[in-house]
Amino acid sequence: MNTENKDTVCEEEVFSTIFKDNSKTVFNYIYYKFGNEEKAYDAVQEAFVKLWENCGKVSPKKAKSYVYTVANNLYLNIIKAEKVRLKYADKSLKTTHESPEFLMEEKQFKEKLDRALDGLPENQRTTFLLNRIDGKKYAEIAEMEGVSVKAIEKRMHLALKSLREQIEGI
Amino acid sequence: MQENYLAKWLNNELTETELSEFKKSDTYASYQRIAEASTHLEAPEFDIEGSLMAIKNQQILNEPKVVRLHPFKKFLRVAAAVVILITGSYFYLNSLEDTVVTQYAESKEVLLPDNSQITLNAASEISYDSKNWNKKRSIKLNGEAFFKVAKGKRFTVATEDGIVAVLGTQFNVANRKGFFEVTCFEGLVSVTFNGIETKLPAGNSFIAINGTIMENTVADTEPSWMNNESTFKSIPLKYVLLEFERQHNITVETKNINTDQLFTGTFSNTDTELAVQSISVPFRIKFKFEGNKVLFYAENTP
Repeated sequence: MNTENKDTVCEEEVFSTIFKDNSKTVFNYIYYKFGNEEKAYDAVQEAFVKLWENCGKVSPKKAKSYVYTVANNLYLNIIKAEKVRLKYADKSLKTTHESPEFLMEEKQFKEKLDRALDGLPENQRTTFLLNRIDGKKYAEIAEMEGVSVKAIEKRMHLALKSLREQIEGI
Repeated sequence: MQENYLAKWLNNELTETELSEFKKSDTYASYQRIAEASTHLEAPEFDIEGSLMAIKNQQILNEPKVVRLHPFKKFLRVAAAVVILITGSYFYLNSLEDTVVTQYAESKEVLLPDNSQITLNAASEISYDSKNWNKKRSIKLNGEAFFKVAKGKRFTVATEDGIVAVLGTQFNVANRKGFFEVTCFEGLVSVTFNGIETKLPAGNSFIAINGTIMENTVADTEPSWMNNESTFKSIPLKYVLLEFERQHNITVETKNINTDQLFTGTFSNTDTELAVQSISVPFRIKFKFEGNKVLFYAENTP
């Protein structure tokens, strides 16, 4: 990343790049945790304003984990998790030429998946969605959450397990 | 199967044997479907540009916070200047002495902070520091003045010619050009003239005319000018005439007259006609008023 060559986040260009690279993930991260879009948006704003205010103290390398920490701490234990509403990418529906029965079955499956995701513990859901939707590697998620990679693997494993159990009605 | 194999599987970290084993299990299809379906999920939309703009706008709003130091510095500069000005003028004003001046034919009474009284004769000036008066009783005198000094610390009157120091008494100091006279009416006065100190008891006067010292005695209890008269005892006529000018605010001219003759007598400080006669009669000289001028001349000249 070219931002890492520069010395300070106080450079507007550096700050903008960091923002563009990370703000969406910060937004998603907070949304997966609490299911509240507005709060997620505010968290992004707050975290990056804090980063700007402390731009002299935070190196560009540390900036990423800094904003996750700030965003996470913001609502820690303060707001109750709401229902996470996820959309389905349009492409999965457009490209299909399946029969109406299949589509119906598919729709039902997604509703079940939705419900199952909602039923997951917050840390498992966040980890699972960061990986599936945002394509984050376990190591990255571990850094965001401040836990070991192994702990993330465990969450991932448990998430898949309970999703299957939920969907299959076990 | 290793620990957390589902996570490993999603990350393509399973060994071939593990993978084929997993694929044979009846749960594999379900996991495969979940993994597949979950990639089509989308989080709510997030406007990156809009959000960045909002932050930048907030920064602009917050910007004055950072710049605020500047006008404050400016304010400090002004404040510093004002403080310097105020303290400067305070010290200047504080060091300024109180000054009392009388014009020709005028006398003034001055009451000092310790209730000492000064009566200032015509065309005279005193200055003193009233703020530090109780620490240092010191008066600068140019002209003539009568002092009634309240008892207390050393009280000094400094003139160009000599210094008068007392503790508490009544005395008169006259310091005119070439003429220095101190008369003590009560107590004891110390007069320092040309570095020589003279103790002057009550009823005595010390006179120095052009450096020549004379001592006289006086019977009065206060100087005659306090009663609107000017009294002289063996004083050269020129000093008498100068005093006459000061008391009557009139210009004196002389013609064919030796002004070094000594004059003993008194003239009125209020009645000019009478005063002129008081001076002219003993010398048998004539006088003539010409507007605000009086000419004294010898009898044998026209």
